[in-house]
Amino acid sequence: MIRLIPYLLYLWIVGMHQVFLSDVTSIYGVSINLPALMVLLVAIYKSEITALWFAFVVGAVAYAGLPQVMGWHVLILVVLAMAVFHFRERINMESLKAKLLLVAGGIVLDNIAVLVLSRSDGFLMLLLTKGLPGVVYTALIAWLFFLFKEGRITLSKIKAIF
Amino acid sequence: MNWFTNLFARHWRNVHLTVISLLTIILIVGQSTVNPFLRQITVGTFYAPFATVKNAFLEYRSVAAENRNLREKLVETSTTLAMYEEAARENVRLRSVLGFEPPAGYSLIPAEIVSVSGEYIPMSAVINKGSSDSLRVDQPVINQQGLIGRISSVSANNAVVQLLTDPSNRVAARIAESREMGIIKYSAGSGMMLDNFPIGGDIKVGDLLLSSGLGGVYPSGLKVGTVEEVELPEHEVFAKIMVTPAVNFYSIDELFILKEAGQ
Repeated sequence: MIRLIPYLLYLWIVGMHQVFLSDVTSIYGVSINLPALMVLLVAIYKSEITALWFAFVVGAVAYAGLPQVMGWHVLILVVLAMAVFHFRERINMESLKAKLLLVAGGIVLDNIAVLVLSRSDGFLMLLLTKGLPGVVYTALIAWLFFLFKEGRITLSKIKAIF
Repeated sequence: MNWFTNLFARHWRNVHLTVISLLTIILIVGQSTVNPFLRQITVGTFYAPFATVKNAFLEYRSVAAENRNLREKLVETSTTLAMYEEAARENVRLRSVLGFEPPAGYSLIPAEIVSVSGEYIPMSAVINKGSSDSLRVDQPVINQQGLIGRISSVSANNAVVQLLTDPSNRVAARIAESREMGIIKYSAGSGMMLDNFPIGGDIKVGDLLLSSGLGGVYPSGLKVGTVEEVELPEHEVFAKIMVTPAVNFYSIDELFILKEAGQ
């Protein structure tokens, strides 16, 4: 049961993101796709079953406001988690670029799926103005996360700069 | 049973995959039945705490903005109110001045006080009229309450009024009823008093004191004050009479210079 606590915290972060972090961190309407990013990170670092269940629950939490498409979003995130898990077995996960490419690819697919499911007009325009900049923004956050996780950036190094 | 446990352990991954797939299908199919229920749980658990914080913050921000606006409005309203109150006071003063008639043979030149000087009580005042407005030295200065003083010096656009509270300023006065006379003077220690009034004179507290016209500066009949206290000391020639000035020298605003006809 204690092992679930970190995942509950991740879910609360997703909830916080959906409630106000998304608005606060968005730049010209381009926001971070945090639910997909968290699913991808869990799929990269944890077991397949954990990643699949986490993707399922994140889908249910992140898209709680859209019950009519919640199931489809859950399906997309679960498939994404499974795909990333299988990709990670076949590529060199020591490479930062490989991990970033994996995350960026996953976010691209999720953003496209989100746009398709929203059935809004001007799909291409939305993809170019929101979807792809969103991928870059999310990949930037992922890059910072990897740098922190691998110890390339530490608080003491940041303090040393200032 | 053992056989079943082994089977479950061997197909552990597939069991999870099957359960997740089934649940996902249920979510896709049960859009109107299962999903609202699930939504209620997830929103209540993962959104509600942050929504409460967000709403509290937004409310705080709107209340802070409203508070700022109200403070600005309060300052504006207070300023406007102060202006209205001042206008109302001026209105009352001007209404009382409206029916004010000068003594016969004189006309009134209205003026306003620019500055007042004096250590404990105002003793002189600068007014906004001067020789260009036909003001001359020794012209009497009054308001609707009574005698204020006289012009002591004049420049082109300003003049100095020596108030009755200046100890060097004396007014020949008489009691309105008995017509007996004395000299009004002011001393810093004891205030305004009627001097040179004999012990046996007809005087009582509350008697009205008017200028007598003697001395040539002030015309007769101007209200100077009322008798406040009468002391009749033994072995003295004159009574000691305290006077309450007709004019409140602390609150003079508009005043009038008496200009003699033909001046």
